[in-house]
Amino acid sequence: MGISREQKINMYRSMIRIRKFEDKLEQIYRDGKLNGHSHTCHGEEAIAVGAIEALSEKDIIFSNHRGHGHYLARGTSPKNIMAECYGKVTGTNQGRSGSMYLVDTKRGMLVASGIVGGNICLAVGSALASQIKKDNIVTLSIFGDGATNIGFFHEALNMASVWNLPIIFLCENNQYAEATHREQHQKVEKISDRAIAYSIPGKTVDGTDVLKVYEAVKKAVESIHRGEGPTLIECVAYRLSGHSSGDLGAYRPKGEEEEWRKMYDPVKKYKTRLFKENILSFEEAEKIEQEVQKEIEEAIKFAVESEEPLANTVDKFVYQEEVNG
Amino acid sequence: MAKIMYIEALKSALREEMRKDKNVFVIGEDITRYGFGINRGLVDEFGPDRVRNTPISEAAIIGSAVGAALRGMRPVVEIMFVDFIMIGLDQIVNQAAKMSYLSNGELSVPMVIRTPEGTEWFGGGAQHSQTLHSMFMNIPGLKLVIPSDPYDAKGLLKSSIRDNNPVIFFEHKQLYTQKGEVPEGEYTIPLGKAAVKKEGKDLTLVATSWMVKHSLEIAEDLKNKISIEVIDPRTLVPLDKDTIINSVKKTGRLLVVDESPISGGLQGEIITVAMQEAFWNMEFPPKRIGSLNTPIPFSSVLEKKVIPTKEKIKEEILTMFSD
Repeated sequence: MGISREQKINMYRSMIRIRKFEDKLEQIYRDGKLNGHSHTCHGEEAIAVGAIEALSEKDIIFSNHRGHGHYLARGTSPKNIMAECYGKVTGTNQGRSGSMYLVDTKRGMLVASGIVGGNICLAVGSALASQIKKDNIVTLSIFGDGATNIGFFHEALNMASVWNLPIIFLCENNQYAEATHREQHQKVEKISDRAIAYSIPGKTVDGTDVLKVYEAVKKAVESIHRGEGPTLIECVAYRLSGHSSGDLGAYRPKGEEEEWRKMYDPVKKYKTRLFKENILSFEEAEKIEQEVQKEIEEAIKFAVESEEPLANTVDKFVYQEEVNG
Repeated sequence: MAKIMYIEALKSALREEMRKDKNVFVIGEDITRYGFGINRGLVDEFGPDRVRNTPISEAAIIGSAVGAALRGMRPVVEIMFVDFIMIGLDQIVNQAAKMSYLSNGELSVPMVIRTPEGTEWFGGGAQHSQTLHSMFMNIPGLKLVIPSDPYDAKGLLKSSIRDNNPVIFFEHKQLYTQKGEVPEGEYTIPLGKAAVKKEGKDLTLVATSWMVKHSLEIAEDLKNKISIEVIDPRTLVPLDKDTIINSVKKTGRLLVVDESPISGGLQGEIITVAMQEAFWNMEFPPKRIGSLNTPIPFSSVLEKKVIPTKEKIKEEILTMFSD
């Protein structure tokens, strides 16, 4: 689909960045150095990177509680995300959000929802705004398999379909809704089959293959630009971690995670492929890894050394002060 | 000045704001062809893109309005009955009300949700007659507007549409056909400013929505015995505390009348606000009237027992002056 060599390497760097960022973050929680908790996307890096690479700069993204990867893939600085996890004033949301509700308006990352499925309808609204303004912008709504059981999902897909809105619904099927395996929370074999109910295209792709994800999203973008409306894309992967920091995932069958890690670790898979295709050399890979490692260490240093928010700013921005017109 | 109905006043506010700003659009169930008719006719001037009939999907109606507002649009949502707002509650409470704060003011949700509440033998029963505005006072990040006559309805709706915060605009079914004087042309009423609907010196009667009409009639009925000051807060958030406190300091007596169920309601909040500043001015314990803590029953005989009626309000006032 016409991805340049440089782009392919950048995608690798981005995946490594997400992996290392979250490895380090988990470590920090484990060491008891941070309050609260966060949700990592280990095993789902290919979805974030592949999907976001397929968008243009002006497109809009609604992420979720498992969202660090989406923001990192879009180019939000690891420093600002890490500082937000630390609740510091230099964080993406100046310490008002923590890990779950990141905002980066400059990159069209409007808001991540901590309520499962809570912003799927908001994404529909963004697409509605685009339809009224005729601005040619695509909205990407990202959610997990668990979110496809909540009412918002149904209302949103129905509305987007009946109005033919410029939106892509991207489901990260990581097999678990919190601690419940998919077989216990829905009977449908492929989540993309749910698209049939809305008469929109539904596609299931290997969510551990970054180029397959890229391709699927790119096609959905093109179909929107042809005026063909929404698509539901299911990316199948596996959450190579617990639901949130501190959760070791003991409810999963023994050996399941190891099996996926061995066969379908998206970062490893992509690296091997780049080696095979002679796009990346061992030395280059090593260099990228070291650079990213340094970046993450700097991000932690930045977060640790940053100032706490001023207590007397606590009631700022509850309301917007300015009035229109 | 021309007398027009409350619904006409609302429609005229919508029409003026939609002409003024192309980002303003209306959205809701059957708004072009059914319901109370506030949006009817707008589609002829503004087209179906800006006048959207929706599926029966309150979460998606409200949620999509929030999303469109994040992208610079100014949606005016109609929820046909306030009872239905509950289906979209997450989108209001967890999403709309939090956007500005979570983003340090970078995101704003300039959205208005218009919705009718209340009864007085509307005959809708338990799921079409509730008064729910008090509940929303507990959600920081929302503004709450509740106009009691056509003049206020128009001026406040225009200000609500221009406000950059999520606003819930509570109407009352009985008010829709009430007529009142509304000037031709442009005017707005700022949010956060109560109206002294009638001046008086013996009793401060704070009333909202449909209760304002009862209160003004009672003030007239009793004018030879008791001089009643009728105050309509008009907006619950922001609340014009000063107007209420100053009145209570002057009269020494306070009665709050609101159709919300009494427990945890607006009535108690207003009494607390007043007592913190005017306690030593009080000549009689403050009183409150609201609906009983029951669902709204269908039978009109039962309903009369539940909601505040003119008779109940008058009776309560007389007990405050019985000695």
